[in-house]
Amino acid sequence: MAKHRGRGFATIEYPTGMNQNGDPSQAWIKLKPDGRVDVFAGTVDIGQGSKTVHTQIVADALGVPYDWVTMDNTNTDSSAVCTGTFASRGTFIGGNAVRYAAEKAKERILDIASKELEIAPDDLEIVDGEVLAKGAPDRKISVPDVAGAATYVYGELITGNGTALKPLAEVDDDDGSVTAEPHSAISYAACVIDVEVDDETGETTVLKMLQVYDVGRAINPTLVEGQIEGGAMMGLGLGLLENCYPYYPSVEHRGEQFGSYLAPAMEDFPEIENVILENPSVDGPFGAKAIGEMANNAQPPAIAAAIHDAVGIWVTEMPATPERVLRALEAKSEPRRDGKRVIFDEEISVATLSADGGQAYWGVDA
Amino acid sequence: MKAIGARLPRYDGLGHVKGQTQYVDDVRVHGTLWVKALRSPHHSALIKSIDTSKAESMPGVFAIVTAKDVPKNVYGHLEALGVPADEPLIAEDDVRWKGQIVGAVAATTQEAAQAAVDAIEVAYEEREPVLDIRTAADPGADSFHQWGPIYPHFGPHNHRRVRKGDVDAAFDKADVIVEGVYRPQAIEHVPMETQTSLVVPEPSGRLTIYSCTQAMYFSMGVVAAHLGWPLNKLKFVGGTVGGGFGGKVDTATETICALLAIKSKRPVKWRFTREEEFLVSSTRAPWHVEIRDAVTNDGWILGRRMLTLHDSGAYSRFSPYGLTKHAFHHTGAYTIPNLRFDGFVIFTNRVPTTAMRGFGVTSVSLATEMHLSRVAKVIGMDPFELRLKNANRIGDTTGNRVVMHDPSTVPVTLAAAEAAGIELGADYRAMTSDRRTGDLLPEHLVDQQAPDGEHLMTYRGANGGGA
Repeated sequence: MAKHRGRGFATIEYPTGMNQNGDPSQAWIKLKPDGRVDVFAGTVDIGQGSKTVHTQIVADALGVPYDWVTMDNTNTDSSAVCTGTFASRGTFIGGNAVRYAAEKAKERILDIASKELEIAPDDLEIVDGEVLAKGAPDRKISVPDVAGAATYVYGELITGNGTALKPLAEVDDDDGSVTAEPHSAISYAACVIDVEVDDETGETTVLKMLQVYDVGRAINPTLVEGQIEGGAMMGLGLGLLENCYPYYPSVEHRGEQFGSYLAPAMEDFPEIENVILENPSVDGPFGAKAIGEMANNAQPPAIAAAIHDAVGIWVTEMPATPERVLRALEAKSEPRRDGKRVIFDEEISVATLSADGGQAYWGVDA
Repeated sequence: MKAIGARLPRYDGLGHVKGQTQYVDDVRVHGTLWVKALRSPHHSALIKSIDTSKAESMPGVFAIVTAKDVPKNVYGHLEALGVPADEPLIAEDDVRWKGQIVGAVAATTQEAAQAAVDAIEVAYEEREPVLDIRTAADPGADSFHQWGPIYPHFGPHNHRRVRKGDVDAAFDKADVIVEGVYRPQAIEHVPMETQTSLVVPEPSGRLTIYSCTQAMYFSMGVVAAHLGWPLNKLKFVGGTVGGGFGGKVDTATETICALLAIKSKRPVKWRFTREEEFLVSSTRAPWHVEIRDAVTNDGWILGRRMLTLHDSGAYSRFSPYGLTKHAFHHTGAYTIPNLRFDGFVIFTNRVPTTAMRGFGVTSVSLATEMHLSRVAKVIGMDPFELRLKNANRIGDTTGNRVVMHDPSTVPVTLAAAEAAGIELGADYRAMTSDRRTGDLLPEHLVDQQAPDGEHLMTYRGANGGGA
């Protein structure tokens, strides 16, 4: 009876935006007479930090200080369509909507500044809340002065609106091919996990998670790390703890409280090392790609591989609970070999369990 | 550029940590009624009769709704994507999962609402539940669903398919065929904030809907469709949610609150108990994935045959979408030129499953990555090197014929190996995502490669993004 250490590994990819697209996000922006910026977008902040990220995108797309920007995502009367916070679309698609809106508002600011400075808009830029002549930065007017002039001299409201929409990609139902790229970008991650498995109790402890994420551009590295580490804990729950139906397909023994449904808690938090890579996307705001959902996908297979490395068993029905680890240690099953076939897990397969050898599923026409 | 890349504090973080953020449950409106639901005690049963007369006359009860009170009871959340409707808001002729809503009461207190729920009389005729997706489509198996055991609407097929290259030839040519079965489980979303909404009838005739939805416009569309109302009669207030993880893409409470608010002419609130959140709110789906990989002794994956069964629970909800996404990613971060994938959405008598973080792909990542770990063991190859060899590269095409233009399988894998102190061969350390040539473009990968510079990029549409 002993504790055994093992290491497992996985590399994954994950799409940004709804599969097959067709999911718009819209936003609009108005300037107050003192140049402060009101952004109206319908992206729901479920804790991932979209309000923060969108504010950062607008600030830099306009060229004004971050704290000039106010974000209103509170209701459907003042905000336009956002398809929703799902499909890892908030930073990229919601972020593009506010970026496009800011670019349009910037055009209006430059048009009015052009009249005030008598310099063509193309020769102007906005830096830190001031409109400057390119190459002659002493010729300038502040964004507050531009907004004031718009309101009180030119009788104009500076606004901008943006819609981020990638058209629907049709699928050929016969072979799965698509008419257009069915996502906005693809993010990638790799994960190395060290575990310790107790062969007496069956308990697996994750000692360390090393995680590498390519997010295109980390608009807010602190929030990216929050996603990586929060996702890692959900991945740990998938790999080791959580199960609505502990004896699936049975519907008995469902946990109805935190005490009987085991979700990971801070005591389960292992040593975590994060590496962020930035391989920018072509279309994302400032090169960003999604990080949200993928953050709980790499850990379960890495944990399973680490358990195999530690004690030589494959737990293929998740999670790898002590009961399953002990049963697999007892069985110590080896794959069956049939010619060049190496067959694992035959006993839980459709072909073995269904009445007709799985014909309803394996037997469909090519 | 100043804000991008900066570690700025969370926009609304101070309110969150000081307990000052206003969530739906913090909104108080005078005279609000509480909602409790009558739920099916059976996994599967016919409804023979419902009698609400006793409940209606109980103290504190203002309104009761059953299926007959819903203007459009059966509405599909993905009708716009071609997924037909199958799920009633409130059960009509039968119940298909334990916990399915049969009716709902609005009353002055939670206790009064629960007492009225308990007084509603329903006669059921129980059926044997269907629970195992592996046997659900057996010849002669019973089905409770009007479409049979298998969701039938992937165009002309009852399954989502991917076909590419010549799978049979790849399996003939392989040195080894590795076969495995993987069963990712159902889990709960476990948000701190349970499903909650408050619906307030306004003097103008509009409804203000305070909602914890992850998707205000999406949920507004769902409520409007059930009511048969235009969008301008509804106002969703939300945008700040106490944890969603996909579960709050479901419009779980808003529509029934709206019906009860209309009927009672009073503000109506429904907050799921923790038990409801765990037992009857939707879950991540359980999946069953079988993989057969055709592999060479030197570590090329020539082909993959894959069968996926997706346990949808009692109705289709978002499952056809999730399975399609799963199909689109069934080669993971690697290029496999010969593919045959068949995926089925199967109905069982459990809580309908729904979106959750990684929807459709979490299951395929688990299955395919665990399978590659086994493949590496079977052929005696380093698991990092197996991944690097088969990694996506610029100009490769996916199973859907999408051309890769900026894959990162190689850089993330190399960075992980380096940070973990794993020694790789020099030829592996030197790998990049660049277009395949030489040893990395063996005969079996030539035909799948797209002509240089070609890819299917169509972002931003025709309107240039705004005005």
